[in-house]
Amino acid sequence: MNYFPDEVIEHIFDFIASHKDRNSISLVSKSWHKIERCSRKKVFIGNCYAINPERLIERFPSLRSLTLKGKPHFADFNLVPHEWGGFVHPWIDALAKARVGLEELRLKRMVVSDESLELLSRSFASFKSLVLVSCEGFTTDGLASIAANCRHLRELDLQENEIEDHRGQWLNCFPETSTALTSLNFSCLKGETNLAALERLVARSPNLESLKVNRAVPLDALTRLMSCAPQLVDLGVGSYENEPDQESFVKLMDAIKKCTELRSLSGFSEVAPLCLTAFYPICENLTSLNLSYAAEIQGNHLVRFIQFCKRLQRLWILDSIGDKGLEVVASTCKELQELRVFPSDLHDEEDNDTAVTEIGLVAISAGCPKLHSILYFCKQMTNAALITVAKNCPNFIRFRLCILEPNKPDHTTSQSLDEGFGAIVQACKGLRRLSVSGLLTDKVFLYIGMYAEQLEMLSIAFAGDTDKGMLYVLNGCKKMRKLEIRDSPFGNAALLADVDKYRTMRSLWMSSCEVTLGGCKRLARNAPWLNVEIINENENNDLMERNEEDEREKVDRLYLYRTVVGARKDAPPCVTIL
Amino acid sequence: MEGCPRNKETCPKLLDLIPQGRKWYQEEKNNTDQENKLELRLAPPGGDEEATSAMTKKKIETRNNTKKEAEDKSLFNLSGNHFSPPKNTTYNPHISLKRTAPGPVVGWPPVRSFRKNLANTISSKLGNESSLGGQVNKSGDCEKQVQPSKREGMFVKINMDSVPIGRKVDLNAYNSYEHLSFAVDKLFRGLLAAQRDTSGGEGEEKPIIGLLDGKGEFTLTYEDNEGDKMLVGDVPWQMFVSSVKRLRVIKSSEISSALRFGCSKQQKMRA
Repeated sequence: MNYFPDEVIEHIFDFIASHKDRNSISLVSKSWHKIERCSRKKVFIGNCYAINPERLIERFPSLRSLTLKGKPHFADFNLVPHEWGGFVHPWIDALAKARVGLEELRLKRMVVSDESLELLSRSFASFKSLVLVSCEGFTTDGLASIAANCRHLRELDLQENEIEDHRGQWLNCFPETSTALTSLNFSCLKGETNLAALERLVARSPNLESLKVNRAVPLDALTRLMSCAPQLVDLGVGSYENEPDQESFVKLMDAIKKCTELRSLSGFSEVAPLCLTAFYPICENLTSLNLSYAAEIQGNHLVRFIQFCKRLQRLWILDSIGDKGLEVVASTCKELQELRVFPSDLHDEEDNDTAVTEIGLVAISAGCPKLHSILYFCKQMTNAALITVAKNCPNFIRFRLCILEPNKPDHTTSQSLDEGFGAIVQACKGLRRLSVSGLLTDKVFLYIGMYAEQLEMLSIAFAGDTDKGMLYVLNGCKKMRKLEIRDSPFGNAALLADVDKYRTMRSLWMSSCEVTLGGCKRLARNAPWLNVEIINENENNDLMERNEEDEREKVDRLYLYRTVVGARKDAPPCVTIL
Repeated sequence: MEGCPRNKETCPKLLDLIPQGRKWYQEEKNNTDQENKLELRLAPPGGDEEATSAMTKKKIETRNNTKKEAEDKSLFNLSGNHFSPPKNTTYNPHISLKRTAPGPVVGWPPVRSFRKNLANTISSKLGNESSLGGQVNKSGDCEKQVQPSKREGMFVKINMDSVPIGRKVDLNAYNSYEHLSFAVDKLFRGLLAAQRDTSGGEGEEKPIIGLLDGKGEFTLTYEDNEGDKMLVGDVPWQMFVSSVKRLRVIKSSEISSALRFGCSKQQKMRA
């Protein structure tokens, strides 16, 4: 029984945006469930195989914005076969048939085809926003359909996708009447860009706030672009290997000076140091800087640039910045909230003195009180450093540390890093995401199970000694949603101990661990609401034909996830669903 | 770190807090043993022994099987179910067998492919010869592609018996033994002919063949990172590439003596 008419309740619900909150609302009563589902505009589906499009549409007929995620995270590191799945086509097809008024589609790690994009572009008259992250399977022809047919397109954001570039005229396909663009990101395209078409498009898009071009846009074109879009807030530049001549440099700097709204800078896949200096005028306005593709630039140039960026909140950088550079960041960027330091030398050939170590991490933690997210690749770490970091920064939400060499202990004491990570989870009570590395025993998982109460995502590699490690985590971390493990000695005992735990989780990934086919089969039998997928390298493996003996066979890759729609039908031969 | 259970006495209490309630503290001893192993080791940090001790828990080499089986049995007794250990440990191509220099591991470090290519760009610009030719393999078998194909040049010295001049080869430029064999022929054919010419031989260039099968006049051998001398061709190509330190083309007639007596110095002394 509601005290207010439905319209009032619906209006109140409009203020509640978070998916979790709306999910909670829908559990209150039948009436609220109905009002909520009929008024829901945005839906987030973290695993596209947990539900199917028909049920989605049935429940949320007013859907306007859909977010879908496909492949598991480790697909980013080539651990998932390309044909594994995550096809968006059935979704677009179903939404089109049901005449859903779709306006926004955000996809991550999904397979998108040109046909899908074409269908998308023709089926939804009010379509406004397409965001594709780490997707693949399409070409610039698909982009051309979107450009040509989506009359009200405001946002086309392509992040780190594998797109076959047909060097066509997709940019030309935006009609002259298209003036509504607010965001255009094609930085991941590898081919040539029609500069004239791009410049015309930018010139007729007064609301354009975010523009990220690809490598092929040269400096003079960039200058012209910036000149006709001084309102830009977010800019991604191309590749500038060569030092500009005096005249070009001056023109570029003049254009940059006019971009007083610019807050975010990225791109720079190659950048001559002089080019970077052209951006000095707007440094102090920057809140977000991504120089992590600037392979060639040496630490000192980076440091010189960052010295001016006093308002920086987000910084993505290469480890060529060095500990000294990070110390400069620590003393300059007092507003820093998120830091990512990526490795520049992956081959460990030389003793790279300029790479970052625990010293840089400690410096950042000491200097940046607002830091809450970090991704840090380094060659060495110590417990003492981690303990200090934990003391300095109890506010971490995301803490991802990747020591490049597997199983590497504390380099000063030769001990495991259990205590260091233990300190992190104990101090950071709000920690939601953690990646551990280095030499780790079961003890670190004991700490994680004990202290990491808010932990939702945990990534484990080359760690632990026995099943106890995994069990500590499964038993202790009540909010665990995504657990991904590779090359760690966890087996059937851990996998099977508490099957109901997987009801509360989105997914579990285990590769190169100790689980056997028998264990997985058993799990699948006990949990029909789970899809238990076995991924094998050898495509000709038909696991079901093997005899009983092979139940002892270790499973190469296991991916399991809860689902309400049973086993999927689009699995390739290398995937067996038990 | 406060509250951190270093003391053995407090550990059982903390473990009791964990709802599962299994008697794992019996295993405490094993954990401590593990830590003791770490403390007593004389190897350098991050070196062989730690890697080995950690890796014996994982399925790798069959010769560790018996030890592993014993450990597995105690572990599985815990849960009351007895899973007998597998009879065949599947060779896991992911984990490197190397203990000294960790070989490339699939999907590690966890960076996106385009970042790995970026890293290659850096290395190549640093003056090393690069072999950036390798595109990221998109097929499902891409996991099998081991990283060396993307590294900067992997140069090893190569010497040939009776040729005073040594050369260097970039192993990353080849993808098979045959390929390498051809390259060796090209490198030394002229030099060898020149040598023979001065020593009164025919002087015409003869192709250097049969390097791999023992049938030619010469045979290709190598010294690996443990100092052992081996015949080229016995192990898979990638394994060879990751362990080879230098190459030597020797007379086929001297194979047995060359391989039995470790270093070339000794050989010279004997001769």
